[in-house]
This record gives sequence, structure tokens and C-alpha cells, in this order.
Amino acid sequence: MDHLLLMCWHAILVSVFFAFLWRSDASGRLKLFLKTLLIMVVGSTLLGWLMFPFP
Amino acid sequence: MSSAKHSTETLGARSRAATWLLAASWLVPGLGHWILGKRVRAVVFAVVIVSAFVTGVLLNGELGVPKPQNPFSWLATFACIGDGLLYVVRMVWLNGLGGAISGFPFGLSGGGDPTLAGFAYGNTFFYTGGLMNLLVVLDVSDIASGEKD
Repeated sequence: MDHLLLMCWHAILVSVFFAFLWRSDASGRLKLFLKTLLIMVVGSTLLGWLMFPFP
Repeated sequence: MSSAKHSTETLGARSRAATWLLAASWLVPGLGHWILGKRVRAVVFAVVIVSAFVTGVLLNGELGVPKPQNPFSWLATFACIGDGLLYVVRMVWLNGLGGAISGFPFGLSGGGDPTLAGFAYGNTFFYTGGLMNLLVVLDVSDIASGEKD
């Protein structure tokens, strides 16, 4: 089981959901989708690296 | 007098319709938006929420069920019940119809296998899907009341 793949799948579902919930035009949806996806995937990966030294 | 009575009846009918609309939206993800004519949003919400639920099942997650000794299980139950009919169907699938009825509320099994690697991920997908559907219900309420397009 690929943990990163699961995290990306979760991020995609949540990003699509909020893009369609909060924006009504196509460009706004695309922008919010990409922004949310990037924040979740990159942010989680960075947080994972920061937590790495801790037991 | 007659006008006031008519107005009260109209308000009552609207309130009943709104209640049914919200119930439909909760039970079947996307149905509320579909009824209100927001077809694209309805399909997207349905696909996203059902996908999250199915992923939870495939990862052997545990649906939230209330446990008297564990207060956090109530929060998990609240989140998972947001999935509407999907939650009910999964409960019947896991417990059988008789078991689901007789076991309600504290004797239900939420399924899942904590020894498997996907367990916690599965739970997360269940919670996320349920909470997203509850947000969809609130969105339907906003659209129906005219506060949102």
C-alpha cells in the first residue's frame, strides 16, 4: 500500500469537493483546486519530514 | 385575515419541502443539488463522497459506531452518519438487517480490521466523506433559501 498515493487521492477528493462548493466559475474552481491540492500535498510532505527526527 | 392564513400555510408548505429536501440531500449525496437544478455540482459531490466511502471500505476502515466507554466514538459516529444511506447500507451489510436493528445503538459492528495497514486511512476516508456530505446539506440549505446561487 502506497501511503503517498493514498494521501494524494485524499487530497484530490477534498480539493475537488471544496473547489465545487466554494467557487461557481471554471477558472475559480481550477485555481482553488490547484491551490488546495498543493497546500495539502506539499504541506503534509514537509510536515512529515519535520516530524521525522522525533520518536 | 385570509391573507395571513394563506401566508402561514405557504410558509408551512415551504418548511416541509425544505425539510424533505435536506433529508434527501443527506440520504443520497448530491440529490439535493440535483433537485435544485445544480446538476454538475450534484454529480461531482456524489462521485467525490461515494469515492471516499468506497475507498474507506476497500482500506478496511471502521465505520463510526457509538461506544459507551469511548466518548470520541460519538464524534466518529456523527461524522460517518453524514454519509447517509451509504452508512445504513454498510451497517446492514456488516451486521445483517436483524443485527443492525437489534444491535442499535451500542451493539453494532463498524467492521474494519485494526491490524491492517489501511485501517486508519480507511477511517479517515469515512469521516471525510461523511463530513463533506454534511457540508453539502448546508450548501443545499443556503441555495434553497436564496442565500447562495
